[in-house]
Amino acid sequence: MKKVLLVFVLVGLLIGTVSYGSVAFISTQFHPATEREFFEGNLLPAMQREKGIDIRFLPLSYEEANTRIQAEQAAGRVIVNLYGDLQSGFDLMAARGLLRDMSDIKFPDRTFISTFEYYAKGHGVTQFIPWLQATFLMVVNAQAFDYLPAGLTRQDVMNASPKWTYDALLAWAKNITRGTGRPMVGFPESTLGLWHRFLHGHIFPAFTGGQMLKFDSLAALDMWAYLTELFDYVNPAGSTWSAMSEPLLRNEVWIAWDHTARLGDAIRHDPDRFIPVPLPAGPAGRGYITVLVGLGIPKDAPAIADSIKAIDYLTSPKVQNQILEVVGFFPVVEEAVGIIPEGPMRSLASAVIAQSSAPDSLVAFIPGLGARGGDFNNVYRTAFQRIVINKEDAARVVKELAPQLVEIFKDVQAPIPQPDAGYYQ
Amino acid sequence: MVYKKDPVPFLLFSPLIAYLILFMGIPLIQTFILAFTSPQGPWGNFERLVRSGEFWVTLQNTLVITGIIVPLQLILGLALALFVNQRFKGYLFILYIIAIPLALSDVSASLMSYTVFGYSGLLNKALVMTGLIEFPMYFLGRHVQDRAFWVIIITEIWRATPLVFVILLAGLQAVNKEYLEAADIFGFSKWKKFTRIILPVLRPSMMAALLIRTLFAFQIFGVVWVLNDRGIPVMAGEAYYYQTQLHNPNMASAYGLMIALVSVIISWLYLVFFRPKKYEERGGLA
Repeated sequence: MKKVLLVFVLVGLLIGTVSYGSVAFISTQFHPATEREFFEGNLLPAMQREKGIDIRFLPLSYEEANTRIQAEQAAGRVIVNLYGDLQSGFDLMAARGLLRDMSDIKFPDRTFISTFEYYAKGHGVTQFIPWLQATFLMVVNAQAFDYLPAGLTRQDVMNASPKWTYDALLAWAKNITRGTGRPMVGFPESTLGLWHRFLHGHIFPAFTGGQMLKFDSLAALDMWAYLTELFDYVNPAGSTWSAMSEPLLRNEVWIAWDHTARLGDAIRHDPDRFIPVPLPAGPAGRGYITVLVGLGIPKDAPAIADSIKAIDYLTSPKVQNQILEVVGFFPVVEEAVGIIPEGPMRSLASAVIAQSSAPDSLVAFIPGLGARGGDFNNVYRTAFQRIVINKEDAARVVKELAPQLVEIFKDVQAPIPQPDAGYYQ
Repeated sequence: MVYKKDPVPFLLFSPLIAYLILFMGIPLIQTFILAFTSPQGPWGNFERLVRSGEFWVTLQNTLVITGIIVPLQLILGLALALFVNQRFKGYLFILYIIAIPLALSDVSASLMSYTVFGYSGLLNKALVMTGLIEFPMYFLGRHVQDRAFWVIIITEIWRATPLVFVILLAGLQAVNKEYLEAADIFGFSKWKKFTRIILPVLRPSMMAALLIRTLFAFQIFGVVWVLNDRGIPVMAGEAYYYQTQLHNPNMASAYGLMIALVSVIISWLYLVFFRPKKYEERGGLA
């Protein structure tokens, strides 16, 4: 009872806080103090000057935002007219019928990455306009390009051409090892590294088309056979690395995969030497994890014209680049790359855009499993340890571990994320 | 009641009692509650633990590491203590040098060790520069677990031997010089003086050092994780893994209690088998 009262008081306070101004913007992003300060101190005043709209910004947790929007609609008095959240949050709200269909809103002067436009749709509506993204990439030491396999060029790799595949990566890794005598591909395999993200969100979708539904498929067995062969050319010290900037800077690896935030130090230190590139493609596509942030409008929201003006401003290439500089989220419009000043950020953003706009791009979203997320990660790490390192029979291992994945999703009642969810659409 | 007559002693030790209740008692009770809570009943976590192959591997690794480092630390600590106890010119400087690792946390010591044994580390640089090897070697990594094991052992010995050294040096300084002078009069050899006088007198200090080091060795975690992650899993490391990565405080608590249980058994064995004889407790000869 106390909790219910607390929620009502909170909701009341929130309504009071943002019940004035033409745009009431609540967001699950930009919570940290520095990000909020940038948003409220720089972006919003500039938007007011440029677009002539008064905007009130309130960062909330997903639960608070969801309660707020539901409460407003139940009361028939909708105040919030702009909402920022992750794709997974929009998807849940759209499933409850809380969002306005955004399909009629167009911005002809910018090209949204079509992959993200695709994932902005669901439950019969366009749920949001893509706003920002964070993702994983590979970084290549420029020396490695001297060892490219026949038929593969530097431009192929940087532009995510169909020739830039996992087979090409293997051939490249072999060439480097033969040329240098050292295994120069590296992954952050330690427990505190994000190695499990590579497994479930990158190489699994690339080979099987899904993260978990095809965990014990024949395509998955092909993937494990490939990974076992690749690991003959992967630096074994990776089991002690949690981030790849340092091994790159120490020249212990020439090709490394990691989250963009964990590669930034190397690229900023020497942008000419360390070149960010998109992930290679597998038989099922160019699988990679994206954290996709969007902007949407709750159903029956007032003053929609002003909300659209705000979305127009926040998704403009100029503002997307400002956010990249300060917060580290990457743009989702192709025009943004052209106006980023030369330097490490531009090379990072170019690779991110090339990866996400590749025709064979296959986005994977991290499943929202709460406290069971660790168990989910552990299934993939265990499979890797047993199959690739301990050389156990892959078919037996995946058959043994697959029920654990099913149990985790059943226990949490979590929706199946992309790309697996695509099998049901 | 005693404290009503004179509350000062009670007031003096009440902060300690409060500290023990807050930071030891309550967490311990919570650990018991968590460890004995599972959907399969109170023993569910322990059943899962002993049925999993990983637990026996971690127990074996922890016992092997403890079994190697503790005796080596004792021998090395004793040798260093005997050496410094000669009080030669400049012995204080040597004492401080030996004691430096006492000031280091296990993570700091491990990172320093990584700068020596890493692929781009000092040892490889020295070996390549002297022409002993053409290319750097891997001392750490998934395919060289045997080497990584010895790097962990070396790091732990370097990091923790000074504690044994300090305890034994203090014990040596308590040896009554009159006994040694009497032994000289009786014509004892150096070895006989060591085995018949110094070692017996040192026995309580050695037991304290052994006990402390063994208990700490069972909690070994930072050095193993920083240098080798879960490549050589140990009990405290798995407790951490369950708590922080698998978000399973129940299993983490079960691991914690198993560490405590093994530690209590080892402590009991020490107390039974290494209990000083009466004359040793008095620091004298029979």
